[in-house]
Amino acid sequence: MTSIDVQELTKEYGTRRAVDHLTFRVLPGRVTGFLGPNGAGKSTTMRLVLGLDHPTSGTATLGGSAYATLTEPLRRVGALLDAHAAHGSRSGRDHLRVLAASHRIADSRVDAVLEETGLGPVARHRVRTYSLGMRQRLGIAAALLGDPEVIMLDEPSNGLDPEGIVWIRTLLRRLADEGRTVLVSSHLMNETASFADHLVVLGRGRLLADTPMREFIDARVRPAVRVRTSDPAALRRVLSDHGHEAAQHPDGHWTVPDARVDDIGRLASAAGVPILELAADEGTLEQAYLNLTAAETEFAAQPQEA
Amino acid sequence: MQFAPVLHSEWLKIRTVRALPGALLALFAATTAFSAIAGISGTSDPEFDPLFTALSGAAPGQIAAISFGAMAVSAEYHNGAVRLSLAAVPRRGRWFAAKATAIAVPTLAVSLLTAPVALLGARAGLGPAASGLSPAEQVRGVMGCGLYLTLMALFAAGLATVLRSGVATLSVLIPFILVVSFVIGDAAGPVVDFLPDRAGQIVLHETYDGTLGPWSGLAVTALWTAAALLAGAWSLRRRDA
Repeated sequence: MTSIDVQELTKEYGTRRAVDHLTFRVLPGRVTGFLGPNGAGKSTTMRLVLGLDHPTSGTATLGGSAYATLTEPLRRVGALLDAHAAHGSRSGRDHLRVLAASHRIADSRVDAVLEETGLGPVARHRVRTYSLGMRQRLGIAAALLGDPEVIMLDEPSNGLDPEGIVWIRTLLRRLADEGRTVLVSSHLMNETASFADHLVVLGRGRLLADTPMREFIDARVRPAVRVRTSDPAALRRVLSDHGHEAAQHPDGHWTVPDARVDDIGRLASAAGVPILELAADEGTLEQAYLNLTAAETEFAAQPQEA
Repeated sequence: MQFAPVLHSEWLKIRTVRALPGALLALFAATTAFSAIAGISGTSDPEFDPLFTALSGAAPGQIAAISFGAMAVSAEYHNGAVRLSLAAVPRRGRWFAAKATAIAVPTLAVSLLTAPVALLGARAGLGPAASGLSPAEQVRGVMGCGLYLTLMALFAAGLATVLRSGVATLSVLIPFILVVSFVIGDAAGPVVDFLPDRAGQIVLHETYDGTLGPWSGLAVTALWTAAALLAGAWSLRRRDA
């Protein structure tokens, strides 16, 4: 199967460096979340991979070949860059037929991806009448058209309704399980956490992280235990006797940092403290990401880099 | 990647946006209507040229041809549509050649249908005033008219690729054709004869007296068009999409 290989990729627009010596690989069989704030270089990287923008230096290849050298590229790589790229006067179906014609893809395949993306009923309506969510679905339909091994989606859940978000999550999972290479950019943490197996994180054009999502979180967020009791005084006493510093939250629950559920549960039980709730407080991707970018900001603020 | 499927895709693009076949319909309507009106209007002008009068609808018709060429290209530069097109066809030269072919063939077909209709319509009004036209002159006028309108559509397409905007293209070309050629044209010297529209319209005249003849004039227009298309192809290859 095909992986995306980005090697020392650099892109400058005038004096602004949008992508800065970026090196990473996107492997098949898993969903890779492409994270970073707006302007971090995610979309630029995708355009460089697709050969649309010319890199200042470095290379981006798909299974070893530059995109521009692929014959019938839509059968290898499907991409959604901008949901507004479809011409408003064309019907959704005609929009896909135009793309299909360039690769001799049959109209039956066009109808199949329209059904798959839930656009069957509006296939013959003009794109102008589509909501943003429907345009996103059309863009995803275009990406799936050639049944490609590599799928790159730039902010696909923009404008999708809750049902659409669940749908895309299921779709991404299925595509990865079929062994395809899936790269999905987003600046929304909770949503990325719901579908990504692996993360590539950018900040100001540079690579900040390239790790499995679980490792990314565990390395940056300290584990904690969340506990609720009907006897706060007793709980506080027991915890401080054993060297734990618990913090009480306004809604009544306590957080015990650097602790494990097993330990806190045993302590409370031994001391006879009534426990209403006890849970491991796993770090979220959002916390991990903010910790990472905070560290990065400190690093960048030092004058060592002119 | 083969050329035929890319051409098919570009042809579908033109067919499926209603404004584009609409522009070709406007080409037919404007050319035939203005020729018919010119046929009915007086023939008292001392410089009266029956062939040019009969094909004078090509002057408004070329605005439609230019709009068609410019719009067919500028649709790509709206909301990054060209990225989708070039992701499907990364060979940019081939893509642009298919685009130009998809513009040229329908323009030529519609123009070659329009020109004889315009000529016959105008002759019905002109009556004996046009009886001196030889069949060869009329065939030359009709063929020349079809080629001229096609070249102007392609000229606009090339310019629109360089400017990446239909509005910018039309705001350059239409004032140029309406103002520069009509107003300055009659006053200025022989250089004006080499402007794309002036040179190409010689073929529409029965008689001509200048450095350029009907076919050499059309060749001058073709050079302008080739230059615009080459500039378009060059900028398409060089720039980020």
